[in-house]
Amino acid sequence: MGTENPGRPSFPMRPSSTPFASAPPTVRPFSSSGPLAGSESSNFRPTSPGAPPTMTPFSAAGPSPPARFSDPSVPSPPIKPVPPFGMPYHQFPTHPFPSAAQIPPNRAPPVGQPPFQPPATQVSVPPPSFRQQTQVPLVPMGSPPQNANFPLPSMNVPQPPSDSSLSGPRPNFQPPFPGYPNKQPAVSQAPPPFPAQQGSFMPPPAPPSPFPSQQGSYGPPPRQSLTEDFSSLSVASVPGSIDPAFDHRTLPRPLDGDEVPSSFLEMYPMNCDPRYLRLTTSAIPNSQSLLSRWHLPLGAVVCPLAEAPEGEEVPVINFTSTGIIRCRRCRTYVNPYVTFTDAGRKWRCNICSLLNDVPGEYFANLDATGRRIDLDQRPELIKGSVEFVAPTEYMVRPPMPPLYFFLIDVSISAVRSGMIEVVAQTIRSCLDELPGFPRTQIGFITYDSTIHFYNMKANLDDIFVPLPDDLLVNLSESRNVVETFLDSLPSMFQDNVNVESAFGPALKAAFMVMSQLGGKLLIFQNSLPSLGVGRLKLRGDDLRVYGTDKEHILRLPEDPFYKQMAADLTKYQIGINIYAFSDKYTDIASLGTLAKYTGGQVYYYPSFQSGIHGEKLRHELARDLTRETAWEAVMRIRCGKGIRFTTYHGNFMLRSTDLLALPAVDCDKAYAMQLSLEETLLTTQTVYFQVALLYTASCGERRIRVHTAAAPVVTDLGEMYRQADTGAIVSLFCRLAIERTLTSKLEDARNSLQLRIVKALREYRNLYAVQHRLGTRMIYPESLKFLCLYGLALSKSVPLKGGYADAQLDERCAAGFTMMALPVKKLLKLLYPSLIRIDEYLLKPSAEADDDFKNIMKRLPLVAECLDSRGLYIYDDGFRFVIWFGRMLSPDIAKNLLGSDFAAELSRVILTEQDNEMSRRLMKI
Amino acid sequence: MVDLFIWLSSFFILVALLVILVFQLICLADLEFDYINPYDSSSRINKVVLPEFILQGFLCLFYLLTGHWVMSLLCAPYLYYNVTLYTRKQHLVDVTEIFNLLHWEKKQRICKLVYVVVLIFFAIFWMIYTALEDVDD
Repeated sequence: MGTENPGRPSFPMRPSSTPFASAPPTVRPFSSSGPLAGSESSNFRPTSPGAPPTMTPFSAAGPSPPARFSDPSVPSPPIKPVPPFGMPYHQFPTHPFPSAAQIPPNRAPPVGQPPFQPPATQVSVPPPSFRQQTQVPLVPMGSPPQNANFPLPSMNVPQPPSDSSLSGPRPNFQPPFPGYPNKQPAVSQAPPPFPAQQGSFMPPPAPPSPFPSQQGSYGPPPRQSLTEDFSSLSVASVPGSIDPAFDHRTLPRPLDGDEVPSSFLEMYPMNCDPRYLRLTTSAIPNSQSLLSRWHLPLGAVVCPLAEAPEGEEVPVINFTSTGIIRCRRCRTYVNPYVTFTDAGRKWRCNICSLLNDVPGEYFANLDATGRRIDLDQRPELIKGSVEFVAPTEYMVRPPMPPLYFFLIDVSISAVRSGMIEVVAQTIRSCLDELPGFPRTQIGFITYDSTIHFYNMKANLDDIFVPLPDDLLVNLSESRNVVETFLDSLPSMFQDNVNVESAFGPALKAAFMVMSQLGGKLLIFQNSLPSLGVGRLKLRGDDLRVYGTDKEHILRLPEDPFYKQMAADLTKYQIGINIYAFSDKYTDIASLGTLAKYTGGQVYYYPSFQSGIHGEKLRHELARDLTRETAWEAVMRIRCGKGIRFTTYHGNFMLRSTDLLALPAVDCDKAYAMQLSLEETLLTTQTVYFQVALLYTASCGERRIRVHTAAAPVVTDLGEMYRQADTGAIVSLFCRLAIERTLTSKLEDARNSLQLRIVKALREYRNLYAVQHRLGTRMIYPESLKFLCLYGLALSKSVPLKGGYADAQLDERCAAGFTMMALPVKKLLKLLYPSLIRIDEYLLKPSAEADDDFKNIMKRLPLVAECLDSRGLYIYDDGFRFVIWFGRMLSPDIAKNLLGSDFAAELSRVILTEQDNEMSRRLMKI
Repeated sequence: MVDLFIWLSSFFILVALLVILVFQLICLADLEFDYINPYDSSSRINKVVLPEFILQGFLCLFYLLTGHWVMSLLCAPYLYYNVTLYTRKQHLVDVTEIFNLLHWEKKQRICKLVYVVVLIFFAIFWMIYTALEDVDD
């Protein structure tokens, strides 16, 4: 790739970097250029070609990708140095030209002249986007430094406002058509060449906004249609461009957070909401050959208990008299897509097409259009998401009460860090909000080198031996005992000097206590398990292992005890959440296995200090204890004939080939699965998916939550790309890559991720590049505009980034376990956190501030340029807030926020006045 | 006569191996079709894995000690494979990942099965050959 643009090579990189790096080259929607080019410049184009072969970019990319991704920033740097316009070309290696560099040899030819000579000056002009070819001619600004130029360009350009500007500049350079200086740019379209390349990788383009122009640009009608098909991105590689000139704002950035494709919902209004079920593409390929050309994963991400906004709760239906209506053969639940026939006496299953009888009590006549007359009273026939109350056939035992069991490490490090105190206080404050009152059960065990049991029975009159019954008590009956215990817990162990940890035996003890009922086990672990069964060695993180075939072994559990224990715990409906606090190596890889196979979660607080991390622990523990939880659940997803779910990814254990065992599920857990086609050709028009989660609600009712969705079967690859859902794709990629790190090197995991994205975009390009003569720019479907950016963010995320030095092994593993369970929205936020500037907001009087609270909450692109040293920013990735104080921040604000001694940065002293706003924002998490 | 007895006993050992492998395959197939749960399936399989390994090792040694080094050599790759599995601690079925590994586990056991069947043919051939020789004598 580099070739063409000699210079370019570097660019590619940049693109990627762009996201972060501020400078990156501009991106430009190709559209503009494209069209234009067409018009005037036919000639020009040629030039561009020179530039390069468009295609190449991708391919190149392929190869190069790594680089790019890896270090976005890097590339850019080079550029910067470059002088202004001229520079652009400079970059290109080729150029011999001293001065201008402008014309890269390659291009030059086409162009003819090296426009640049004057480079600088002329250059300026071109930039304007091509669109304008019109003319803008360029302004010859003299090419002052690039920056300057750029601006102009943009100006010139009529339509393409901003974007163009950026891009514009570069173009100029190239083409330098002799005559036209100005036009050239346009013509050059060429720009594309560069752009293209860069584009390719680049971070995807930013949000739509930028693009607008693109589309607009297309003059010719035909183009319009094109636009609909995809967006393109081209980055100019002008050397100088990087700098200021470059408008990073033109890069697509997901500032609005996750965008859920809506066309799908419009097509099938009775589908469940995408918050519950998202397909990676809402168009299912009809043949295996088509599927093999879709290089992205085909699958779904399911979050069965996602929190529904007020007013959209899932309706609960009680089929007491008829029993739950299900298909006889495939056991599909009745749903909006079943059809009634034979005057309402039969119904046809939408998944397996079997004709079933309608039970007498469920019978209703059909109206003239074949719809049941009682449709309005049957939410299960209108809504994609419903909950059935399950009769006794769906129970193997009486529904269990919500049960929370705490296993708390009280060794010396736990005492010193203040962990016990925070935990005890938090649990105590949450006692009122534990779900399931008055049936909730609770129990405690603490351990160091010994295991301490606590009799929680309210009545201690006749106590002999600690029976399991006494260790686990009903919260409402023993409320006083529990409160007293929690109050005294911190002081009980304050003089403990025990450094050992009998984690394994304590876990077994808890298992025995809980095995009758199941429930949720919260483990607070402060050091490496050192005694009894399940003790772990200090394997540590070893630099020498990285890059070898043994690297992944560090990320796997060391002792088979943990896997076996996890399997047993799941069998008895016990879900585990691990809270790890150690400042030293704790082997999260082994401990986390417990959470992974029991549907739990890992929370990791490296070097926990109650003063610093206490708030985070309090918040997360409180959320863990009080969120609505589904107990002893199993989940299955069914789909129509011809397709099948083959692999499942997330934190759970498979109980049979397609049944996920989930001892405790809540709204923050999502599961991903991949689809494969079983038949070579699908003949149906639509395929249906049905997720069924059978669980015990905290209130003690057994329920089945059913989400149904339909998706069209398509024969056209382009349609698949158009209907793609970036969020779901990224989520699935994330899980695949993390699983990959468990069997191979980090680098392999990152490479395979990049390779798939590149392949997919190349495939897409092959679909359209030729017919629309897109030359060298990168094109991508509107639906996937953020894919490259997220792919890049993913390979820089904690579980995947770098090597030995970039993240501690424990952090890597903990983040890996966390990301395996995250719902799509939270994952995207973690990958691309929001950055909000708040100093202006804080300075406003409170009344006014309330009004434009919304305005202020605008997310900024994550580029260094956005950080103003006079500002105060909040960076929020859903797990933590980083408050960034600019160096030049007004002392007033700092003083108000931090108190008079703002030298102590970590102290979170927050003035009450601001406290409201701050806390409100905190609450938004 | 001694030779015939040796071939006969090796034949029975091979049949025992065959039975163990078929049993494991049945467990895996049942699991795939959801007739038994993964806990039972993996504990049943894991119970016979070590006997299988030991029996196979014994067979190899038996051939070697009785001077049938060609047959011993034929058994060696199988033994080597088992030893590697064992040292990597991959010899037991992992109940938590059993569904993801199902395909691989089955393939591995079918290969072993074919291997054992081939060995049985050799053993039968030598057994008959020896018997005929004995008669001739």
